[in-house]
Amino acid sequence: MFNVSRDYAPPLGVIAPFFKMGSFFYVTGIVFLFFMKSDFSHNDLNLLALVHWYLLGFVMMIIFGAMAQLIPVVMEVGHFGIDLYRLVWPFLAVGTFLMGIGFLVSPKVLPYGGLLVIVSISIFLYDTIMTLWHVKHISLTVKTVAVSSLFLSLGIFSGFMMALGIGEGLSINMDKWLNIHAMFVLGGYVTLTIMGLSIILLPMFGLSHGFDETPIKRAFWLMATGVSGYSIARFLGIDQWGELLSLSIIFLSVGFYLYQIMIIYRSRARKENDIWAKSMYFGYGSLASALILGMINVLVHSEQLLLAAGWFVIMGFFTFLITGHLYKIIPFLVWFERFSPLVGKEKVPMLHEMYPKKAAQYEFVFSSLGVVIGGFGLLLGDDTLFKTGISLMVVGGGCMFYSVRWMLNYK
Amino acid sequence: MCTITKDQVYKAISTVVDPEVGFNLVEMGLIYDAIIEESCNVKVVMTLSTRGCPLHQMIKQWVHEAVERIEGVGVVEVEVVWEPAWNISMADDNVKAALGGSGTMW
Repeated sequence: MFNVSRDYAPPLGVIAPFFKMGSFFYVTGIVFLFFMKSDFSHNDLNLLALVHWYLLGFVMMIIFGAMAQLIPVVMEVGHFGIDLYRLVWPFLAVGTFLMGIGFLVSPKVLPYGGLLVIVSISIFLYDTIMTLWHVKHISLTVKTVAVSSLFLSLGIFSGFMMALGIGEGLSINMDKWLNIHAMFVLGGYVTLTIMGLSIILLPMFGLSHGFDETPIKRAFWLMATGVSGYSIARFLGIDQWGELLSLSIIFLSVGFYLYQIMIIYRSRARKENDIWAKSMYFGYGSLASALILGMINVLVHSEQLLLAAGWFVIMGFFTFLITGHLYKIIPFLVWFERFSPLVGKEKVPMLHEMYPKKAAQYEFVFSSLGVVIGGFGLLLGDDTLFKTGISLMVVGGGCMFYSVRWMLNYK
Repeated sequence: MCTITKDQVYKAISTVVDPEVGFNLVEMGLIYDAIIEESCNVKVVMTLSTRGCPLHQMIKQWVHEAVERIEGVGVVEVEVVWEPAWNISMADDNVKAALGGSGTMW
């Protein structure tokens, strides 16, 4: 008998706090939406508080936790220092909390919150970059992890500059830096990371093989070019044509990406529509909706279109891709920790038995309806419709919170 | 003279189930060969449904242990290869049919 390496599956104790904290920030973030009106502007401080609470506390928290498991899977090497992740989530949680207070109550707190977030992300990046050095098989996903890490570094730097601007009065053009910061983080990090991971995870869970990967390669390079071009154009002040050209490249990238997803979907051997598959359908449907709204916005420049496009990207695409994968990742980690030692000795559960099917179903129905109705509320500037959507999402968020606890406590 | 047969080795490995899909490795078509030497040393050549599978080492160990349980077996070696790459056509018909699902959303 030889020892089993844990290189490819880190301990549950390291990762579980990310999912617990992430689901807490998710639910509280949606509740926070109740206090927003559907006619807010994209640089409203309340909105910025909510966006940071949601994106850092939920989206980044879950992505970092998931990366603790997925980095070895996609890079085919073990982590440089998996225990570093024990430091990532506390800094991120406290930093996000302080940033929320900074935006809402006391701007002086903002740089301190921002600093803690930088520390957290720097630790995460340190492990990622050091792990990259040991990679032998340079796949497209490895390239996306490398490039997205660079964009994340630029994103946190630009974010900290703005935190100093708001909290300490540093003289910078906030509107310019806000756009660059949002593009680096949302386009350069979150979207590129999702692109890179999905080319591994969707075929893995759907058992798709032998498909053409040309579209995802084009999508990756176009997104990296578009994000860089947009930021440079904004920085140099060549806003009009530079922004239009860069956004067109980004839209083209999203188009290629969606085409790749369709190719993977068509070639899958596993056709069951479980909670993961449904979440993927909704997430990619939301991305397609956001793409259409974004393209129209470039032509007619409407704040409502911009907000609705952002809504479908963040609440539809990012959120459903993340929550859908939680039903794969958490059962696996729990199974690996508690049941894998029992294989061959006694009957062990299958992974699909290790999530609460009804709660997951309720989460999907309430949350997806909420996103659609809330999105229409934003688009039409109808506050009642928007709040109706939020109400449904709160119920869905509660179900998700329950599901995460249920999965983590499965015995 | 070794009396262990390939069938015995495949039968032993068929007790190893992939927890994600719920089928054993043999019916999934993941076992490419079982080479049995005269000294009863056994080398299993297999693949996984995806590179970088988080259960990579563990599945290797399960196969190793399953083959070790065969009476009279010598040294067991498990080699994971990526060529030819696995695809669904290598799986048994019951696996293909079950994975095809009902296709309905609800």
